[in-house]
Amino acid sequence: MTKALVVAKWEYLEKVKSKAFLIGLLVTPVLMLVMGLLPTLLACQEDETTKVIGVIDRTGEIAGPLAARLQNQYKLSNGNLRYLLRPIAVGDDMDFEEAKAEGDTKVLMDEIEGLCIINPSLLGDSLIEYRSKNVADLRTTGRIEESVRAIMLEKKVAALGLQPTVLQELKVNLDVRTVRLSSEGEEESGFTKVFFTAYVFLMMLFFLIFTSGQLLVRSVIEEKSSRIVETLVSSCSPTELMSGKILGLSGLGLTQMGFWALIGAALSLRLGFDFASADQALLLVVYFVLGYLFYAAVFIALGSPVTTEQEAQQISSYLVIFLVLPIALAIPAMQNPNALWIKVLTYVPFFTPTMMALRIPIAMPSVVEVVTTVLIMVAAIYGGMLVAGRIFRVAILATGKRATLAEMVRWARTA
Amino acid sequence: MLTVTNLRKEFSSVIAVDRVSFEVGRGEIFGLLGPNGAGKTTTIRMALNILQPDGGEIRYDGERFSEKTRNIIGYLPEERGLYKKSKVFDTILYFAQLRGMNAGAARAVAYRWLHRFSLLEHRERKVEELSKGNQQKVQFICALIHDPVLVILDEPFSGLDPVNQILFKDVFMELKQAGKAVVYSTHQMDQAERLSDTLCLIDHGRVVLSGSVRNIKKRYGKNSVHIEFDGNGAFMDSLPGVRRAIMYEHSAELELGDGVAGNALLGEIVGRVEVRKFELLEPSLQSIFIQVVGMPDNGKRGVFAREVNVK
Repeated sequence: MTKALVVAKWEYLEKVKSKAFLIGLLVTPVLMLVMGLLPTLLACQEDETTKVIGVIDRTGEIAGPLAARLQNQYKLSNGNLRYLLRPIAVGDDMDFEEAKAEGDTKVLMDEIEGLCIINPSLLGDSLIEYRSKNVADLRTTGRIEESVRAIMLEKKVAALGLQPTVLQELKVNLDVRTVRLSSEGEEESGFTKVFFTAYVFLMMLFFLIFTSGQLLVRSVIEEKSSRIVETLVSSCSPTELMSGKILGLSGLGLTQMGFWALIGAALSLRLGFDFASADQALLLVVYFVLGYLFYAAVFIALGSPVTTEQEAQQISSYLVIFLVLPIALAIPAMQNPNALWIKVLTYVPFFTPTMMALRIPIAMPSVVEVVTTVLIMVAAIYGGMLVAGRIFRVAILATGKRATLAEMVRWARTA
Repeated sequence: MLTVTNLRKEFSSVIAVDRVSFEVGRGEIFGLLGPNGAGKTTTIRMALNILQPDGGEIRYDGERFSEKTRNIIGYLPEERGLYKKSKVFDTILYFAQLRGMNAGAARAVAYRWLHRFSLLEHRERKVEELSKGNQQKVQFICALIHDPVLVILDEPFSGLDPVNQILFKDVFMELKQAGKAVVYSTHQMDQAERLSDTLCLIDHGRVVLSGSVRNIKKRYGKNSVHIEFDGNGAFMDSLPGVRRAIMYEHSAELELGDGVAGNALLGEIVGRVEVRKFELLEPSLQSIFIQVVGMPDNGKRGVFAREVNVK
């Protein structure tokens, strides 16, 4: 076993010292932050100039209040108006087609940002049309819509002979508080908490498996093509080599993830995210380790016969499915954590850790379930490692020549 | 030290190694010879427990391969067997530890070897930054650092300049004197002839010739002539009494038929080319090999075809 440690130390130190690792370590979180926050930041950015919007009001009753409302409600940070309504034609005696043509021209000439047409409709509600070069400016259209709606509402209230203050009284504010009940008592809980716990768990598992899995496959490919593997296999047993690699590269993955987790924890504390409680976390760690070991076996079994980087990529993409699928299942699983199909999937080793990650924060599974699934996982890991080890043993030496079945059997026997 | 009996290995219907047997004792340099693809590397891999034989047996001091065996074998694979991105010193330490040495002892021995191979100033450089010859030296150190009893080297001289070849040869001799068993493969006959105590010639997976160099030469008699000349010597291979000829541009090795005297041959030649040297000698391994194996088919067999212009 000491030789496995020698291999582990070598794999770990050689990769940790490499520039690629250091760059990945630092760049990835920055990249994720930027990707996550940038769009939101940019979208929140308000315009700095007043937008002029042309209006054709065929009812003759909306344009006035709309201008007043936009003027009162929306101001730029420097105090100027955000929107300026410029009437093009108001009233029912206009030549609509001509007014519309005039408005369109102004939009195209960039004289106005957009053209707002208010049509009288059969049912007495106005139909609004917003014509602009940029129709993706949802904020502007949303504000116009909201303002017109408020004006119409006021008019209707007035038509019914009610006081305008009635509107305020009719407003209802509703806030639902969710409380998770368990035998230990009640606990405030919510979708975000469950989702985040599961999501963080899945992402961590995903990253660890893929960083160390790909490193493993890549190192096997390198050793194969450089024939280093011959020296290695003549100096230590394939089992030692394999366990050394798993150990070293897992350590590497853990280093990377630990670093990121620190950043993540710091961020989530600042942002006030809520995570699972201690007992849940402990159980999650158990499933995490089991899941990792199981997938490591799968990765070795599928990855060690690979001879090129391309093939390795392909195999990774198959494995991604097993890890991404549970994320897609997260929402239905959260809505009904006791559904039969979820229970069934919990017993399939490929899904056990991720399904448990979804279920534990929602409702603690029974002790029987936990014990059974852990036992199944342990058995699956044992079997998986056994098979993986045998494939590894033969595959690492197969350069070009395919190993025959008879040879594989002989290898399995000599072990 | 190493006993190989009736070794057999098949690769999808091709028999790579066919009933190969040999024995290497301590203090013996054993040359495994043969053209490319003859089965040398496959034999070596089986001796290292990298490949499992389909038949036959390999014993190390009479015992089967075990975990203990791993630490007494040193192996130099045929080129490229190093991590390119790793530092020279780290690499040597790693391989030493894999053979069961502790890091402290390995460090001291590594310094000595690096010094001897004038690589000391390169020890903190990456392997890929080294020249091919220096990389080969690093591999050589990796194979020997743990003081193995059985040293197996696959084409140790490829890619080495003459100065380093001498360096390697000296180490070979030291290993022999220290009572190690050295097995190496090569396709350079002249070198094998000078270096080996015992030889095993393999062709198409079979042993075609084996034994001590002296015995092999004795068996194949002293019936060859080495001639160096100026002029066109093309006629020589068709002279009466010449059984086989290996022609070079300005020299030839002729194997004579039974009872043919060297003098008579000289008489035939003297008038037609300018003879600079005429020597009766033992046949070279090369000519023995060709004699035993027969003519390569249309000179297809890479190495030999390149070096020899055969009749």
